[in-house]
Amino acid sequence: MAKAKRNNIEALVNHSVNWLDDSGPDADIAISSRIRLARNIANMPFPIAASEHDKTQVAAAVENAIEKSGSLGDDFFAYDIEQLSEIDRQILLERRLVSREFIASRGGEVLVVKNDESRGVMINEEDHLRLQVLSPGLQLEVVWKIINELDNQLSSSLPYSFDEQLGFLTSCPTNVGTGLRASVMLHLPALRLSGQINAAIQGISKLGLAVRGIFGEGSDNLGNLFQISNQSTMGETEEQIIFRLSKVIRQVINHEKNARASLMENKRYFLLDHIGRAYGTLRRAYILSSAEALESLSALRTGVDLGMFSSVDLRQVNELFKIIHSAHLQRFAGKELNQEERDIFRAKIVRDMLSGKNDE
Amino acid sequence: MICEICKKNPATIHIQEIVDNQKKSMHICAECAEKKSAPQLLFDGNFNLAEVLYNITEHMGLPGFELGASSKKNEETETQEQAKATCMKCGWTLSQLRKTGRLGCSQCYKSFRDVLDDAFDTMHRGKLHVGKKPGGKIDESSTVMLEIMNMKKELEELVQREEYEKAAVVRDKINALTKGEKKVTNSKQHKGIRKSGKSKKK
Repeated sequence: MAKAKRNNIEALVNHSVNWLDDSGPDADIAISSRIRLARNIANMPFPIAASEHDKTQVAAAVENAIEKSGSLGDDFFAYDIEQLSEIDRQILLERRLVSREFIASRGGEVLVVKNDESRGVMINEEDHLRLQVLSPGLQLEVVWKIINELDNQLSSSLPYSFDEQLGFLTSCPTNVGTGLRASVMLHLPALRLSGQINAAIQGISKLGLAVRGIFGEGSDNLGNLFQISNQSTMGETEEQIIFRLSKVIRQVINHEKNARASLMENKRYFLLDHIGRAYGTLRRAYILSSAEALESLSALRTGVDLGMFSSVDLRQVNELFKIIHSAHLQRFAGKELNQEERDIFRAKIVRDMLSGKNDE
Repeated sequence: MICEICKKNPATIHIQEIVDNQKKSMHICAECAEKKSAPQLLFDGNFNLAEVLYNITEHMGLPGFELGASSKKNEETETQEQAKATCMKCGWTLSQLRKTGRLGCSQCYKSFRDVLDDAFDTMHRGKLHVGKKPGGKIDESSTVMLEIMNMKKELEELVQREEYEKAAVVRDKINALTKGEKKVTNSKQHKGIRKSGKSKKK
């Protein structure tokens, strides 16, 4: 029975990330597909009303179930959030492994995650278990298969809180039923450049789906990254929810493709100038705020998609998207940096990573 | 969920931020989002995830939930009701539910059933789980049950609008499905029966 490596952030950072791969279906526009399942253990108060003791028991039971099932492979990590420094908590957030609520930590939170970060479980977040599976590109059906199996494996040793009529019971009534939230992160620069993004968001939300920015925070749609997810979790099967969402996302991807083609045809120099200037900034700037970095990287990514750069690939751009965030920067620098120092160091890292690559 | 700005359209855009460890959320519709397209505007003020639930309960007109009127009498009723509305199992109160938007334990779903029942209509596509069960079993009969529940709702609306001919058609469908449903339950051990499909053709 494999045991988790405990509270070792270095091991996580040194491992390559599965969802940053550029090999997924529709990887040029769909960055990643994610599904999470909310589950609770029967006869235990939900984390919000649970005592320290309850939460410790839950964490021990869930970790034991994970180890026994072998569902995270031989090499996986566990993190006790309370034991981590502020920067290490931020690292987990920037890698999209945890929620903000989770790392704000009221006590008893544990993250268990597979070495390639493709699957994991947040223990004692809003619910006792938040199973999460993440894959590159648009492939919700595949992700569902994986998480469904993980869920079945865990349920064989964990008694879930389940009601015949209401389904899986969750702390927030917006998750009850399937407990399933599926989301796809899309990069939609052309829809924004051509002024169609608001209409698109409106259309999507009329279909009962939600649109969010990458971390659901204030810097919302920076980098033209949008997450589209299902809203309702009861009254449909898991497959129906995923089918409906995938269908809409395919349409959005087509709209983005058309918008790109139309920009290339009708506003070619506007588009090339936009991308070229962004590339110039990334290659030559000495001070780079995270907002400017995200916006410029979005343009660079668009250029890569359009075949403008022969030696920068999507994987590199994805890697840059990850490393420019403040906790990763500080980890890389090996010390704490204030904002001014971060902006300077960010510019240096980006320059270094892009130097020696194709200049055109 | 209803839009917090216009209080009319369903809220489909969700914004969250954490300031000083306090979570602020806002739920608005696409139209209001567009009106407020300058992003910083969206984060003004104090927004609470629970406000949505709170608003729903406020608009339900249930005794004890009428907070809209400013009279003291209402406030008193509210406090009394609140004292009663406590989960016997975990001690979670209605005001905690309103404040946090969260429930304390599984039993809370029964303790606060009235409040939740109406909220489910806005949040979900029906009040019945039709997906997987623990361990991966899927009960086909629940899909039929959901169909029946939706049709009953439709029937009520048709009767209210006095569209009796259409109502009769829906009623017959419900009857057919209900029979099929019984058959499913009776003959569960025999596999491969597709009652819902058959009765739908009618």
